[in-house]
Amino acid sequence: MADTAKATPRMQQGLPARPLINGNPYLPMPARVIEVIRETNQIKTLRVILEDDDAMERFHFEPGQVAQLSVFGVGEATFVINSPPSQKDYLQFSIMEVGEVTRALHKLTPGEVLGVRAPLGNFFPYNDWLGKNLYFIGGGIGMAPVRTIMLHVLERASDYGDISLLFGARTPKDMSYQYELPQWLSHKDLHCTLCVDKADANWPHKEGMVPQVLKALAPSPKNSLAILCGPPIMIKYTVETLLELGFAENDIFTTLERRMKCGIGICGRCNIGSRYVCTDGPVFTCQQVRKYL
Amino acid sequence: MSALANEERRIVGFLCNWCSYGGADTAGVARANQPTDLRIIRVPCSGRVNPLFVVKALLNGADGVLVSGCHPRDCHYGSGNFYARRRLEVLKRFLPILGIDPQRFSYTWVSASEGSRWQQVVTRFTEEIHALEPAPRFEDVEPLEKALTLTQEKHRPLGVGKQDWLAKLKEAISDKLADLDCVLGWQQGRDLLHSVPLFIQSADDLQKLRCDATCHNNLVRYLPDFKGRKVGIIVRGCEAKSLVQLLQEGIINREELVIFALPCQGLLDLPLVEEALGRYQKLEGLEITDSALKLRVDGKDVTLATADYLQSRCLSCPNDTPVLADYPIGEFTGESATTAQCPELAFLDSLSLTERLGFWRACLSRCILCHACRNSCPMCVCRDQCIAESREPHWQSAKASVKEKFFFQIIHALHLAGRCTGCGQCQANCPMGIPIFALRAHLNRVISELFDGYQAGLDPKAVPPLLTYAQEEANIQERSWE
Amino acid sequence: MNSDRFLAREAIGDFLAKLIQTGYTVFCPQKQAGVRQSVIFAPWQKGQEILLDKATVAPKHLVLPQSEVLFRYTMQKDSAQPEKVDVSLDDSQASTPTVLFAARPCDARGFAILDRPYLEGLFRDPYYAKRREALCVLTLTCSSGCATCFCHWTGAGPSSPEGSDILMTEIAEGFVLQAITDKGKKLLAASQLPEAGEKSEQATSARKAAWQSLEKAPDLSQAPQKLAEVFDDQDFWRHWTQACLSCGACTYVCPTCYCFTITDERLGKKDHEEGVRLRSWDTCMARHFTEEASGHNPRPDKAQRMRNRVSHKFSSYPENWGAFSCSGCGRCVTHCPVGLDIRAIVLAALAATSPQQRAKEAS
Repeated sequence: MADTAKATPRMQQGLPARPLINGNPYLPMPARVIEVIRETNQIKTLRVILEDDDAMERFHFEPGQVAQLSVFGVGEATFVINSPPSQKDYLQFSIMEVGEVTRALHKLTPGEVLGVRAPLGNFFPYNDWLGKNLYFIGGGIGMAPVRTIMLHVLERASDYGDISLLFGARTPKDMSYQYELPQWLSHKDLHCTLCVDKADANWPHKEGMVPQVLKALAPSPKNSLAILCGPPIMIKYTVETLLELGFAENDIFTTLERRMKCGIGICGRCNIGSRYVCTDGPVFTCQQVRKYL
Repeated sequence: MSALANEERRIVGFLCNWCSYGGADTAGVARANQPTDLRIIRVPCSGRVNPLFVVKALLNGADGVLVSGCHPRDCHYGSGNFYARRRLEVLKRFLPILGIDPQRFSYTWVSASEGSRWQQVVTRFTEEIHALEPAPRFEDVEPLEKALTLTQEKHRPLGVGKQDWLAKLKEAISDKLADLDCVLGWQQGRDLLHSVPLFIQSADDLQKLRCDATCHNNLVRYLPDFKGRKVGIIVRGCEAKSLVQLLQEGIINREELVIFALPCQGLLDLPLVEEALGRYQKLEGLEITDSALKLRVDGKDVTLATADYLQSRCLSCPNDTPVLADYPIGEFTGESATTAQCPELAFLDSLSLTERLGFWRACLSRCILCHACRNSCPMCVCRDQCIAESREPHWQSAKASVKEKFFFQIIHALHLAGRCTGCGQCQANCPMGIPIFALRAHLNRVISELFDGYQAGLDPKAVPPLLTYAQEEANIQERSWE
Repeated sequence: MNSDRFLAREAIGDFLAKLIQTGYTVFCPQKQAGVRQSVIFAPWQKGQEILLDKATVAPKHLVLPQSEVLFRYTMQKDSAQPEKVDVSLDDSQASTPTVLFAARPCDARGFAILDRPYLEGLFRDPYYAKRREALCVLTLTCSSGCATCFCHWTGAGPSSPEGSDILMTEIAEGFVLQAITDKGKKLLAASQLPEAGEKSEQATSARKAAWQSLEKAPDLSQAPQKLAEVFDDQDFWRHWTQACLSCGACTYVCPTCYCFTITDERLGKKDHEEGVRLRSWDTCMARHFTEEASGHNPRPDKAQRMRNRVSHKFSSYPENWGAFSCSGCGRCVTHCPVGLDIRAIVLAALAATSPQQRAKEAS
């Protein structure tokens, strides 16, 4: 009897074959917090090293890949590794306090243990971007994944065209990575624009929502790609603005967030149709996910 | 026998901050001799003690639980202990149906100055707990595999199979349909034996309407979803009670409802019928009368005695007349089906405490935690916010142990205390056929005993007994600790 | 040369008892007392009744328990540096060779459907793999269909071997056992059961008769595509889920539903803290399944959740793995409190015109 389902399996669709990884993918690597940075009222950045020196040395990931962080006894949640791969001394995660696990992560102090399952998911296809102008857009905590890929391409800026960043937050107080902003603003290879929805008297930069500011800046879509990340509502309107500006759906990259448990494409939470955010994502082009934004 | 001489038992005490905790302190300062078995948890008020705290402690191996607060009329917050008294008394009377000895739980009042009374209470309670065997661990109880017989000896004719009012009902709905967003009814499901909810919006939909003994879904469950829209609903006796209860709780609005009421003919316990039919491919005919179910299955005729296949709750139904109706259709007898109590309850009453514990252990071990009991319950109005799935507070572990499953049933039952209208959906929809309705039925009995025959769902204006109190309770006799 | 064996009806008890002697745990359908019977697969002991009924719940708990420990963690103070706390993790798991006796072809096919994501995906699930390897599936072929099952719609049938190690077919005096896999062959070779000889032919004709007793199945080959087409048709999904109670009955009785959740449980704290990470069954029909900590929920309505369940079985799983993830056992239909029928939804999707088409027709 012939199989009545005629659809083509993913292997035959030219999608990457999934590499097999040995061992227990559910078992976290014990790790330790070495530094905690308070970014904003709600956001903390944790710098973390793996307990096993050997594993730390061998640890390799690509920008955009994520980790499942565990607080034992509380649970796991997914965060993008937001240090660039060249940073070998530690892994950095920026965490907004919203739920049980993030609350527990916020309570960690240097020296305390946590678990790390990483790297998981796909990454920004920066090798396909050579020679292009790159327009990075980060909103709030969404700056975390943008930071990784931006720092990564800045390290090899000569391979790319113009590199720009538009980073927005609700208020000046909600802006993460303040200690890095002067560096970014004065970086020779980066055109950096900062904006907040609501400015205060001391705010020297732009005021307005990210889509509005973007519209005013009106970057040229010619030979350009946009990489954006932020809360769902910001993504939705920023994508609309980018399309208005003439960016093609295929030239807009974003990362998606979904509730995840296994992180390895089985547990059934993060799928959008037949694609799993945890294994086929988190990086998608706008074309792939437009209708789900 | 002095408790002090024996090996310690595990006794948990919930003491109110303002009186009893002070009383215990006074006893300690006075160097009064006390047994050391009690582990004290200080709470702001005896009213803070959720009965589930007590059950959780008992299920997890506590040999006894003692709650102590300020004397009635002495509550720091005015009335916390009055509410506590009602809840804790209900709990004490609920425990036996679970198979837990009610002597393992006690509540009392000790003021901050009553050091010697505290000494008396704690010594007496500890001695009593020592007099019992150590509490059986739920995990170690011998499972009791026992089938229930549900047939009742006598019941009034239910009028099963009568359809003479169906045309009238359709006419009544048709007249109102234009003013309504939708009318909730039933239609045939996958075959003649099965009916499913129908959401009538057009004359075509109305043609599909079916109202008979196969229509087992309590449509009141859907009403909260329609809040803000004007809808019609078809109800029978027990369903009307669910509706009244939701009105009482302010979950739905009377002015948004048009109620079409039918005399109930009793409902078939469909899984029981299916069990009798065995594996079949096609059901070609069905005729239902008061005496017989005539089915034609895979070309063969099968006749079953209707009374053997009715839901047990229908046979113990107190009254077939809906308490609230805009359009009553058909004849109502106003009679009780039988004087007998619910057969599940009669069965559990006949077991010893240990047997009951074993019975629940055997039954619930096959629970798949699908929560169909909860999700089909018209009174489970928390919907997606059930504490069973909350991590903060962490009431339930995700571990699928029998104990956790049992505890879930206890959560559901206790949250229905004084609210359950006895529609029996919880049990009727259990894919595993677990007689969980017994827990609710017992609680209804307790509520009725304690609060002068109170039944949920009879009066939209009534105050539910656990949301109020009397300074002097007529039916709660507190124990003396002399 | 055929290696089929014959098992007389009265010899089943001895056959199973011998398996237990050789170290197997044997799971058989067993009746459970209650207000009405339910049948579940439970460990069988010598002397217990032999039942061949289709179980109320599929036997997937043999490979995916309702809940299981992924690992235990222990947090202990470092003896050299008291201010430092170390964590140790233990993910060891035991497994015993298990025989599943009298599964139905739809149950067995469930295992084949679970194997793909759990064993052939990007990551191999070690917990599943260990249990699956230790499991030998003896499947009783069905002699007829039932009112809710539809295996032949989904590319299988009453005697499909997929997922089975041994197929067992009832004939006049007993059962003919046919090994499908090496695992099955080994078990039969060690069984000392007599060879079936010409009884095999009786089995073949019994199977043919079963096939013939089924009504003609509708063609579902276009289902993946058609379901993808109605994916955005909110009215379609709202209409079909109006009665849904969002309970998990359909997913938990299903042989192919495999979603789970992972949660941590603290087990106590005396001189050190310890606990477990659990994996347990979860249902995509529940609102909290996809709800994020921020409150954002990509599937807030029951219509979207039902769409996910049906599409997963008939569209997105086929897209990833080339086969339906429904074995047609019909349990979701039987046990749904409000009688939602997945067959009807798929057929409706096949017959549906997309909103675009409808708009075109209207203009």
